[in-house]
Amino acid sequence: MEQVLGDKKSIAILVGPALLVYSLVMLVPVFWSLGYIMFEGNAVTGFRYVGLANFADLLSDSKVHDALLFTLRYALVITIGQVLLGYGLALLYVFVLRRYSSLIRTLVFFPIVLPTVAVALLFQQLFSVAPQNGVVNSLINVFGVDSVDWFGDGGTAFIVIAIMDIWRSMGFYGVLLFAGLVEIPEDVLESARIDGSGGWKMLRHIVLPLSLPVLVSAIIFSINGTLKVFDSILALTNGGPGTSTSPLTIYMFQTSFTYGEYGYGSSVALLLTIICLMVTVVIFRASRRDLTKG
Amino acid sequence: MTGMTSTDLITSPARSGRQGPPVTPRSSRLGRRLRRLPAHLLVALLLVIVTYPLVWLLLGSFKTETEFLEESVFSLPSQFSFDNYVDAWTTGNFSQYVLNSILTVGPSLFLMMLLGTAAGFALEVLVWKGRAGVLLIFLAGIMVPMQMILLPLFTIYFQTGLTGTLWPLVITYTATGLPLTVFLMATYFRAVPREVFEASTLDGAGLVRAFFLIALPMMRNAIFTVGLVQFFFFWNDLLIALTFTNSGELRTLQVGLLNFSGQFGTTQYGPLFAAICLNVFGMLVLYLVLNKQVQKGLTAGAVKG
Amino acid sequence: MRSSRMTHRSAVTAVVGLTMVTIASCGGGGDDSGGSGAGGDGASDLSLLMNVENNEIPGTLTTLSENACADQNDAAPLSVETVPQTNLDQQLQLLAGQGGLPTLYAAGNAPDLTKTLAESGHVLDFQEALTELDVIDNVEPAAISTIEALYGGFNVLPFEYNIEGIWYNTAMFDEHGVTVPETWDDLVAAAQAFADAGITPFSASGDQGWPITRLIGNYLFRSIGPDALQRVADGEASLTDPEYVEAAQAVADLGSAEFFGQGVGSIDMDTSTNEFISGNAAMYYMGSWALSDFNDDERNDIGVDNIGFMPFPDVEGGAGDRSQLAANVGLPVTMNAEAYGDATADWLSCIAENYGSAALEEYNRVSGFTVNNPVDDVGQLTQEVQDQVSATDEAVLWFEALFNTEATNTSQRNAAPLVTGSISAEEFMGMVQDDLG
Repeated sequence: MEQVLGDKKSIAILVGPALLVYSLVMLVPVFWSLGYIMFEGNAVTGFRYVGLANFADLLSDSKVHDALLFTLRYALVITIGQVLLGYGLALLYVFVLRRYSSLIRTLVFFPIVLPTVAVALLFQQLFSVAPQNGVVNSLINVFGVDSVDWFGDGGTAFIVIAIMDIWRSMGFYGVLLFAGLVEIPEDVLESARIDGSGGWKMLRHIVLPLSLPVLVSAIIFSINGTLKVFDSILALTNGGPGTSTSPLTIYMFQTSFTYGEYGYGSSVALLLTIICLMVTVVIFRASRRDLTKG
Repeated sequence: MTGMTSTDLITSPARSGRQGPPVTPRSSRLGRRLRRLPAHLLVALLLVIVTYPLVWLLLGSFKTETEFLEESVFSLPSQFSFDNYVDAWTTGNFSQYVLNSILTVGPSLFLMMLLGTAAGFALEVLVWKGRAGVLLIFLAGIMVPMQMILLPLFTIYFQTGLTGTLWPLVITYTATGLPLTVFLMATYFRAVPREVFEASTLDGAGLVRAFFLIALPMMRNAIFTVGLVQFFFFWNDLLIALTFTNSGELRTLQVGLLNFSGQFGTTQYGPLFAAICLNVFGMLVLYLVLNKQVQKGLTAGAVKG
Repeated sequence: MRSSRMTHRSAVTAVVGLTMVTIASCGGGGDDSGGSGAGGDGASDLSLLMNVENNEIPGTLTTLSENACADQNDAAPLSVETVPQTNLDQQLQLLAGQGGLPTLYAAGNAPDLTKTLAESGHVLDFQEALTELDVIDNVEPAAISTIEALYGGFNVLPFEYNIEGIWYNTAMFDEHGVTVPETWDDLVAAAQAFADAGITPFSASGDQGWPITRLIGNYLFRSIGPDALQRVADGEASLTDPEYVEAAQAVADLGSAEFFGQGVGSIDMDTSTNEFISGNAAMYYMGSWALSDFNDDERNDIGVDNIGFMPFPDVEGGAGDRSQLAANVGLPVTMNAEAYGDATADWLSCIAENYGSAALEEYNRVSGFTVNNPVDDVGQLTQEVQDQVSATDEAVLWFEALFNTEATNTSQRNAAPLVTGSISAEEFMGMVQDDLG
């Protein structure tokens, strides 16, 4: 039977074009750029072979260390935030709102549609301290707390970034995870209820295991998106104050195109790709194992 | 799990038909009311959180520069003049940018979904050696930072004379959208029993035909959902559009928004907000129209490849 | 090793290219590379690549193409392309790498890139070209010296010539009995007087950073002398030397005394301008391009008559003095050496002869070209600025002018943390010095 689904010509026709386009436009340029790792200079000055010097720099560059730490911190916080809240929303859609959830789903999804520039402007205004207090500062003043210069310090700026990105993406993850939850057959839930499983218990023992595959996909997607965060931070804080909110991508873009050290920028990119790869392979493996079990 | 890949995620009001028995009441009426109260509050809070920015955007689009800088964030615009919109339309060269955005996003979305769904089908449903490896290669694309492929791509486009057209954008979007599409479509195909396709090929129909006649229609919800998500990624992209459009006539909507920035770090907030409003509410209309179309397609059972 | 890499690479390019051409020809995509010919005859068009934020230069050149330089425009028509300023450096690198730079182009956000472009032969030597064309007298000597100091040669055209200093609210000064400060100590005392009266002394954008680091630079030019930063560039002095740290400390002290008002770190450019012209702040350090905001009656609440200009004050016992104004040529525009030929040379002489008057007439803009046709109707404050320019014998640059891009970024991004006290003056100067490499 399996042979029916193994016709070589059909496989080539179906997967060939995608693989070709993908290879030419993404894989080739990636290896091309990786080729520059051993060189210094840029497209204007020309390239000069420097061997492994870029790697040596990478290890000792405190800016790379800071950017890496920030990237990891950001990816962890945002992934937990958006997947957790997204899951909460999905549960809300499926178990509380049920068939009436369509409108809410659409509305909560909407922020991801907004242009990054607009969202960043909005949050700058919400958290502004000068020339007037924004909504947030006005609110905390009510509780007797002094206004905070949110963007004046790396720590508070990070909080604003986190709130903004989670606000933007939770509806998206809600919808993504909703797809997994909505597939759980009603009879499974019903039999669990007859067994006397309450809300929390049912969530842990039935809903969570059954929605695990889509949850894992969401986490993979989220980790990879957040490790490569670029335009939302660029638009909101531009990596500042100082470089306290600069992720690896911003540092890489600056090194490559602003500072004219293309090879070094590629090294930073390689570092980031390796991290993404490692994290993804770990999660991917885990998810495959679960699938064979189920 | 025998379930369908129901992916009527965002739009359709109820679960799709093949979803099993209708939802049964889960508790008594009184208990339900009590339980619903916090839920209602939660939903109300959610709505405030997500709709506030839209209202704020709309109000902002009517404000003058001075109102932006001197009035409180909560203040209402003093007048409802459409000056900002006129500015946005002319300074922003808006119609050209909208056209460019549509001309790039439309074809790339179509190409990417077609190629991606076919690949997802081949990788998950069909049986062949090395498919796990190919899936991983696609998956690797999700991990590559986009900034890395800009210089080589620019060189390629320049040398082939594509610079100065919208092709670089179409090609780049198509390719960069593939990894996620292939990955997601493969995931969705996983839930469909292989027997469905095996049966269809027994009567002599080729696999390619089976893909177009059976797999594609079956996946229409998934295709719509993934397509919608990718649409927003493409539509809101700035990095790729900035790099490959070195001409005013090729500028897309998002790049056009930068036109409202001044040389020494200034911004024309009013026209910028008007432009964003045109962008966002235009998209909302498009979204509602699309939604209707899709609903129609669903009831008629007709599907376009 | 390298050559085999190159062969491999071009083979790959060819394969990719073939595919692309096929796709392109299907869709009927045009082939317009936008590049200019590299032949000895130069380009047959005057293609201009500008940052989209700048309207004045394309506008003035368009005016010229319709009037004074109409003949030249027939031979080599002007065409303008724009790119957002944030993306300019990237585009220049990408285009230069392909030999695809247009005839005239904005030459980068930082002098470092302009120098790199010049060193790799992408920039015309204007000293030679304009002398040969016999139009060099049409460029103000002060502008040439500023350009040479910045770029190591006469490598860019002075389409703009800006001076910088402190603009102040004359009515506020009168009301609080404050005289125009001539020394740094006077300035601090004046700021204190305003702060005591509940007025923000300085309006500045920490979001941009450079309006704050400009103060450090000016302080250095006054305390150590006009060559203060050249010595750092030459490696004869370090920013971490005590006399250099003193400047950063002086500016940090303004911050700790809260002279910049609340939330300086997140104030953007518009807000800082607006704080000044709506009468909320007494002083505002800015370049003469701010005149267009000051002349905007709709936004300017205090009235252009109530704005005065003072050069950056002296530092007591310092080697520099107030007559040395800070100057720059804005975002510089240059001509591609490879595009230089008969037709573009004609254009260049026509620009040199007519640009000064056209820019002043149309945009009230002071350029580094001489004004050969008298222009009426120049605003009073603009006239004052023009007089200041002609009275200036020696101009100084700005803090980051001779830095590489990385040090420039570090300096401007850490300006806000410096004045909010997150980092110390020593730390600030240390970070910038580290990036000077």
